[in-house]
Amino acid sequence: MSLFFIVIRQLAEFQAMASSKKVITREEWEKRLSNVKVRKEDMNKLVMNFLVTEGYVEAAEKFRLESGTEPDIDLATITDRMAVKKAVQSGNVEDAIEKVNDLNPEILDTNPQLFFHLQQQRLIELIRNGKVEEALEFAQEELAPRGEENQGFLEELERTVALLAFEDVTNCPVGDLLDISQRLKTASEVNAAILTSQSHEKDPKLPSLLKMLIWAQNQLDEKATYPRINDLSTAALEDPAV
Amino acid sequence: MPTSATSNHPSRPEDLIGRLNSAHTPYEAKLKALRDLKNQIIGNRTKKLAFLKLGAVPSVVSILSSAAAAQGGGGDNREFYESVLIQSAAVIGSFACGLDAGVKAVLDAGAFPLLLSLISHLNEKVADAGARSLKLIYQSKRAPKYEFLQEKNMEFLLSLLNSKNENVTGLGANIITHSCQTTAEQQALSEAGVIKRLVGLLGGSINQKDASLESLAAMVKENPEVSAKFMGPENGRALNVVIELMKDKHPRTRLLACMCLISIRNTSTSYLQDSGIKNSLVSVLLELLDDPGPVGDEAPFVLSSLITEKEDMQKIAFNANLIEKLCEHLNAGSYQAKRLQGIFLLLGDLCSKLECCRDRVLDLQVLNFVTEALAHDSAEVRTAACNFLKNVSRSVKNLSAGQFMNEAVAVPLVRLLCDSSSSVQIAALGAISNIVVDFMAHKSVLVQCGGVKQLVQLSKSMESAIRVNAVWALRNLTFLVSYRCKEEILLELTSATLISLINDPEPSVQGQALALVRNLVDGTLNSINYVFGEDGAVLHAIARQLRSTSKVEVQIQGMYTLSNVASGNELHKEAVMNQLLPQAGNDAEKTLVKFLQSTDSRLCTATLWALINLTFPGSPGTCRRVTELRNAGIITQLKNMINDHCLDVKLRARMALGQLMIFGDSSS
Repeated sequence: MSLFFIVIRQLAEFQAMASSKKVITREEWEKRLSNVKVRKEDMNKLVMNFLVTEGYVEAAEKFRLESGTEPDIDLATITDRMAVKKAVQSGNVEDAIEKVNDLNPEILDTNPQLFFHLQQQRLIELIRNGKVEEALEFAQEELAPRGEENQGFLEELERTVALLAFEDVTNCPVGDLLDISQRLKTASEVNAAILTSQSHEKDPKLPSLLKMLIWAQNQLDEKATYPRINDLSTAALEDPAV
Repeated sequence: MPTSATSNHPSRPEDLIGRLNSAHTPYEAKLKALRDLKNQIIGNRTKKLAFLKLGAVPSVVSILSSAAAAQGGGGDNREFYESVLIQSAAVIGSFACGLDAGVKAVLDAGAFPLLLSLISHLNEKVADAGARSLKLIYQSKRAPKYEFLQEKNMEFLLSLLNSKNENVTGLGANIITHSCQTTAEQQALSEAGVIKRLVGLLGGSINQKDASLESLAAMVKENPEVSAKFMGPENGRALNVVIELMKDKHPRTRLLACMCLISIRNTSTSYLQDSGIKNSLVSVLLELLDDPGPVGDEAPFVLSSLITEKEDMQKIAFNANLIEKLCEHLNAGSYQAKRLQGIFLLLGDLCSKLECCRDRVLDLQVLNFVTEALAHDSAEVRTAACNFLKNVSRSVKNLSAGQFMNEAVAVPLVRLLCDSSSSVQIAALGAISNIVVDFMAHKSVLVQCGGVKQLVQLSKSMESAIRVNAVWALRNLTFLVSYRCKEEILLELTSATLISLINDPEPSVQGQALALVRNLVDGTLNSINYVFGEDGAVLHAIARQLRSTSKVEVQIQGMYTLSNVASGNELHKEAVMNQLLPQAGNDAEKTLVKFLQSTDSRLCTATLWALINLTFPGSPGTCRRVTELRNAGIITQLKNMINDHCLDVKLRARMALGQLMIFGDSSS
């Protein structure tokens, strides 16, 4: 029984619950769960949606072949998008920018915040590679104008430029900018922007489903004691405290 | 400057342009240079401006032109030429994106027809590139006007809207949003079946929905017929679709849906008037005010179009705590110009009619933010702040409490009187006009900071709107003001200027000038003497104006002024008498008689007051004046008025008649 099945059934079960607070044993609960019907096709669509939105092209392609589920967007467009995301994650920001502009020149022209973050990432990469002089020039020529064009960026700009002031960059107050997580953040931002420009939803459906589960469990907690899913990654049912 | 050039180092702008222009550069290198240029300018306003100055646009357009011509030849190079088309179109589009100077350069270089030809290209990517760039041009006010009324153009537009390509349909919608301005155009588009197509797009992708909403708003704006057609049966439940879109996931879609509904609402007062939709619109827009991006910048303007001039909507907004939200934003220090302008615009709207709003605004200390706003870099912000002040100072209670006549408000306002922008000056004058109506006569602040000097200067402006408002401000300033203050004002103004204002070509200025004199002579004998000086030139000017003008407002002010003068001493009364009832000349010239016969009750009342003052018992010449008046047949005229339907006229006529009768009896 896949974890996914368990989660979905749990969610569906809540809709059938009575109103007064009562204790439900695991046996009772599992019995109710087994009565809930969930279609395989719906699950497949959710999985495909997740793979496509997150950009796992090869996995999506394989899944398509093996399950017969059709993706809701052209897989070819995913390849381009993934190339961009990968470039950012590897720190090749200039390459990423060129690729985005090839894909759709409007994206960076109409997303000043995204463009700023990409430029910011470029600066971070230059500093990471120890190219201080080049970093200084870049900050002056490319980043400072962004701050002039839009005062909202000044604070972040100052933080980034502060990196240049420290000898030991990894241990300074703004050192978090050098983390891989910063790259991932920027990569995610680009990914979302591309999806939006393609009129695709930028968030996959799966997280919403899980959020709904957590919310529904919290609501039900006020009315009953029942086996809960506390660890979403295992979807294990934990017995109610008797 | 660093000495090493790494592969990441961008080419110097001049070199790049050189390579594009040079005939010696091989074509492959030009393609690379184009791509390089594109990547340098996208998202980078500073670089765009720099390259514009170097003449990048004509260079690129010429490359586009030759590539378009060359690829007609076909063959192996087709793919290459298509790449050139794509890159050059993208560069042109980027220059036009959000940059007016860029759009101008692009249009001047003749890119428009070239881009149009790309739309029908077989290669989807080329068509996309052309459509995108044209779409960006059409998002600017500088785009060429599209002539919908020509049949070929309408056909072309329809073909755009019916395309399967999202960029092309988007272009079609943008053209409508940009160029559809007259009723005839709206009608023509409607008859060509455009509404149906746009309604269809409402079910499409995010971009299509947004583009369609904007176009629909442009088509129904101020056009009840098209509006009704939109909501008609052949368009299905289009209205409901738009109402649903108010709850869409995407903020921009929600905003545009609101805009569309407001457009319909303001056009046909029979639709969308129920309280449910009113409350929804307010709450959706209120929430959008918090959006950090461009949607949040636009939201105040859309909300303003919903509530402006509409007391019921202002009340709903007030109850939904809009004022508190706006104060939150002010406190958070979001001082970006457009947003600040929007905030003050809304505050101005809210305070335009409702006292409860004005009270709340002042309670929440909004005035603390006004000083900075009045000195802001952006003229629009300064104007919005002035208009807000003008509206909030309509609160008589707070005005009398002296809330506005302080340095923080008055000083920056006066400074704005010499602002470089005339719309700021006019807005500042509007605010000052209200603020100076200060019942506690604490007008010294304004006078001290040189306000009077500025106002007098502006009363001589070439622009009539500025003159009128400046004189209005002076008029309000002199209302119930001290004699010393009047002295100062008249010293600055001079009789000569006063006379020229009374004789101003604009009736509105004449009216204000006369009202100003009326305020100046109101009060003690000294006031009257002071205004008339040695030669009574001002009096002559007033009387002359009264004889020549046909505008009743001017006549009324003039008459009240003379009435005030006639409340003075014997000399004053005689002077007025001579002007109103000259010895020489026929009856038709006798202003007094003419005015008493007016159909406007206000004018009759004003004239009656003059009459009352002229015949007031106790003055030596009263008897003589009464005789003259009787000879002129005034008694008969008055007898016709004692039963007038207007109470003011009736009572004053009786009073005047009474005074005339007293003297009549005693002298005969």
